[in-house]
Amino acid sequence: MNRVNLVNPAEAFSPTSVAELAAKLQWANDQGVTVGIGRIASRTSCVALSLRHLTEPIEHCAGDLVATVPAGVALTEVNALLNRAGQWLPLDPPRMDQRTIGHILAGNESGPRRHRYGTPRDLILGIEMVLADGRIAKAGGRVVKNVAGYDLARLMCGSFGSLAVITSATFKLTPVPAASRTVIIQAANATSLTDLAQAIAACRSVTPSAIELEAPPHRLLIRFETTETAADRQAAIVGDLCGSHGATFTIVANQVETDAWRSYEARIWEGTGALLKIAVLPTQVSSLLEEVARTAEATNLVWCAGGRAALGVVHVRLANHGDRLATIVAGLRHHACAGGGSLVVISSGGAANEHLDRWGDIGDALPLMRAVKARFDPKGILNPGGGPGGL
Amino acid sequence: MNAAFLDELVRTIAPDSLLTDPADLLTYESDALVHLRATPGVVVLPATTSELQAVVRLCHRANVPFVARGHGTGLSGGALPIPDGVLIGLSRLNRVLEVDIPNLRVTVEPGVTNLQITQSVAAFGCYYAPDPSSQIVCSIGGNIAENSGGAHCLKYGFTVHHVLGVEAVLPNGDLVHLGGRVLDAPGLDLLATIVGSEGTLAIVTKAIVRILRRPEAVVTLLAGFGSIDEAGEAVSTIISSGIVPAAVEMMDRLTIEAAEAAVHPKFPDTNAVLIVELDGPQGEVDELFGTVEAICQRAGASTVEIARDDAARARIWKGRKAAFAAMGRVSPNYYVQDGVVPRTRLPGVLRRIRELEARSGLRIGNVFHAGDGNLHPLICYDESIPGQAEQAEAVASEILGYCIEAGGSITGEHGVGADKKHSMPKMFTANDLDAMQLLRCAFDPSGICNPGKVFPTPRLCGEVPGPYREHPLERAGLAERF
Repeated sequence: MNRVNLVNPAEAFSPTSVAELAAKLQWANDQGVTVGIGRIASRTSCVALSLRHLTEPIEHCAGDLVATVPAGVALTEVNALLNRAGQWLPLDPPRMDQRTIGHILAGNESGPRRHRYGTPRDLILGIEMVLADGRIAKAGGRVVKNVAGYDLARLMCGSFGSLAVITSATFKLTPVPAASRTVIIQAANATSLTDLAQAIAACRSVTPSAIELEAPPHRLLIRFETTETAADRQAAIVGDLCGSHGATFTIVANQVETDAWRSYEARIWEGTGALLKIAVLPTQVSSLLEEVARTAEATNLVWCAGGRAALGVVHVRLANHGDRLATIVAGLRHHACAGGGSLVVISSGGAANEHLDRWGDIGDALPLMRAVKARFDPKGILNPGGGPGGL
Repeated sequence: MNAAFLDELVRTIAPDSLLTDPADLLTYESDALVHLRATPGVVVLPATTSELQAVVRLCHRANVPFVARGHGTGLSGGALPIPDGVLIGLSRLNRVLEVDIPNLRVTVEPGVTNLQITQSVAAFGCYYAPDPSSQIVCSIGGNIAENSGGAHCLKYGFTVHHVLGVEAVLPNGDLVHLGGRVLDAPGLDLLATIVGSEGTLAIVTKAIVRILRRPEAVVTLLAGFGSIDEAGEAVSTIISSGIVPAAVEMMDRLTIEAAEAAVHPKFPDTNAVLIVELDGPQGEVDELFGTVEAICQRAGASTVEIARDDAARARIWKGRKAAFAAMGRVSPNYYVQDGVVPRTRLPGVLRRIRELEARSGLRIGNVFHAGDGNLHPLICYDESIPGQAEQAEAVASEILGYCIEAGGSITGEHGVGADKKHSMPKMFTANDLDAMQLLRCAFDPSGICNPGKVFPTPRLCGEVPGPYREHPLERAGLAERF
């Protein structure tokens, strides 16, 4: 699923400068040649663009808690550099050692720490991009507060390369916390799991950076990243809450903690089969988990789920679905949408997917989104069909 | 105003939703940036979304420009009417529609004030985080248009971080829903572009906002310093020690004097005061607050006062939030500027402002969000002295130049509006501005939604294929073709 899957891969192109990229896009636009970007390239692109060589310079203004980063740098490389000044870009999307800044922005990818820090969209301050016709444009700025002009930086987040090619972005940074603790909680069932997650989210004595759920079996991973004393105290408070909810827990730190998070991520993201992202209201998470379990039982599926328990964003991995994926997706989507939510297919796990609706109903703003796409990319050369909602 | 259009308007909406009497129109001539004025052709005050939609559809058909207005507290002329256009006041769409405490969401109409959102959830221990100084009167619709911040946005972010979804009327009258009660609605993030678009893309008719639970502890420190540089040094040390305060505000001698005269916050008699607020779990706040206090002492604070209860804290914030209005106590007129510099460049830029003050002979007060480098110089003048108003404007504009040279922005929270549109090319290239126009043209191809704001030259979208036809706005000399 990470492969650029081209029907007729005419040309791989990996510019080393923004100017080189701009010239290429101008040519492609003039010729009407389609361009697919990085790992999110759609299948029909004629130029396979990689920004892996746009890696310099990273500009870190530590005193301003701001950094400007080229699109081709991996998140782990960025944070290794920022860490030297005791700061970081607090994003933890899955497989971040392989994820470049451009990729993370294009998909607006985040991880468990979204609970506290948000998504790239919440941390971006400014952007530089190459428009479809090869012009270089920027929006936003390099200061943490700025309302001059339209917010094209946030528009690009989650646009899957369908509007422009992101070449660099400026982010608001955060100090690296002094200590970290994770409380791992075993809950009896989906209801008890979500009740506890809600209770922790509502508790004013704790400020977790992650409230992550895993199932089956039903577990919560609650992370505290603050001073040593505060992390210990807050972990203990959550322990007390577990007691009153009849759940058992352990508190982990250091390597054990790192390993716990790594194996949690691996289970969802490195498993086989289809991967879905389902969003519901926080209070509907337990009913969603029950629906997934019911569906899996009825159709003999192997499943696991993980996600932001207090935000209502859950990833579901389904294996052994065979040719039933489209039906299963339709059923789960119906459940999510009934409460105002959504289901997006992140990966079909290699299943034949001609009947699979990846995005579901985009709603009454779809014509407007198409108009935006048509303005930014009038010839439709950028990642055709690869944008959100099939743009 | 075109008589045929007016006739149709009268047939379309309820009589009490329409104002045409010149005396009634006066109220709507300007927002809080009072030196920019224009009389709208007509004012409509829709009572429902469908009435609003009908008006916009009519404007679309007749190619009549319209401007949406909240409670008129904007500081950049964003709600400045178009002569012969329609001014759409949203004050009657003022209901809190739904409060959902378990999911921490509130659904409101655009005319609800910022503070009303907090009031609707206060009994549950919750609040709405963005807190612009005008929060008692400003509307959430206006906050969305301007992407308003406030003193606490250093830690909690801006309106864009707290609005989860909107219902909005597009310039052609269509109703769209962007985002929603549930996170991650699939599709382009057009919600993020509507927030901060200064009413030029659509009119928001409903907003779903995220509320937060009140922190367990809040502690506020007020420190007096012999100089702005000493106070600035304290801020740098706090930030570099890894602490992210809920707010960091600074005021200089002139603004301290003004606030003291107006609301008596009992600020110390010094050249600079620094307000630092920490919030969060009790233990964590206590631990970090000790560090902050020690940093202020080491940086040379002459006085340190700690507010641990609501009354003491309210007094400090009253002094800070009254600063703009209080300038009226020390100067007959004043001009409020809003610029941003990278935080580390503050001392240098403030030095240049002091030199400018000496050179121009106009007193300049400084009150600013020191944590994020957002400056609000207050330029004092007397309009009864010929030429001084223009001089104040020139001084304000020069300060913006300092901000841009330091790598900052021409506006941190007041918006570009009509006031600063000519400064946009100093910050953005022609390509940057063209990219923004692409978005505008997708939303508003006929250029009728709050034209003449944000961008230096209103351009048309050239969407009509075939031979050149003059657009009504071109004919009126209001626009040129894009």
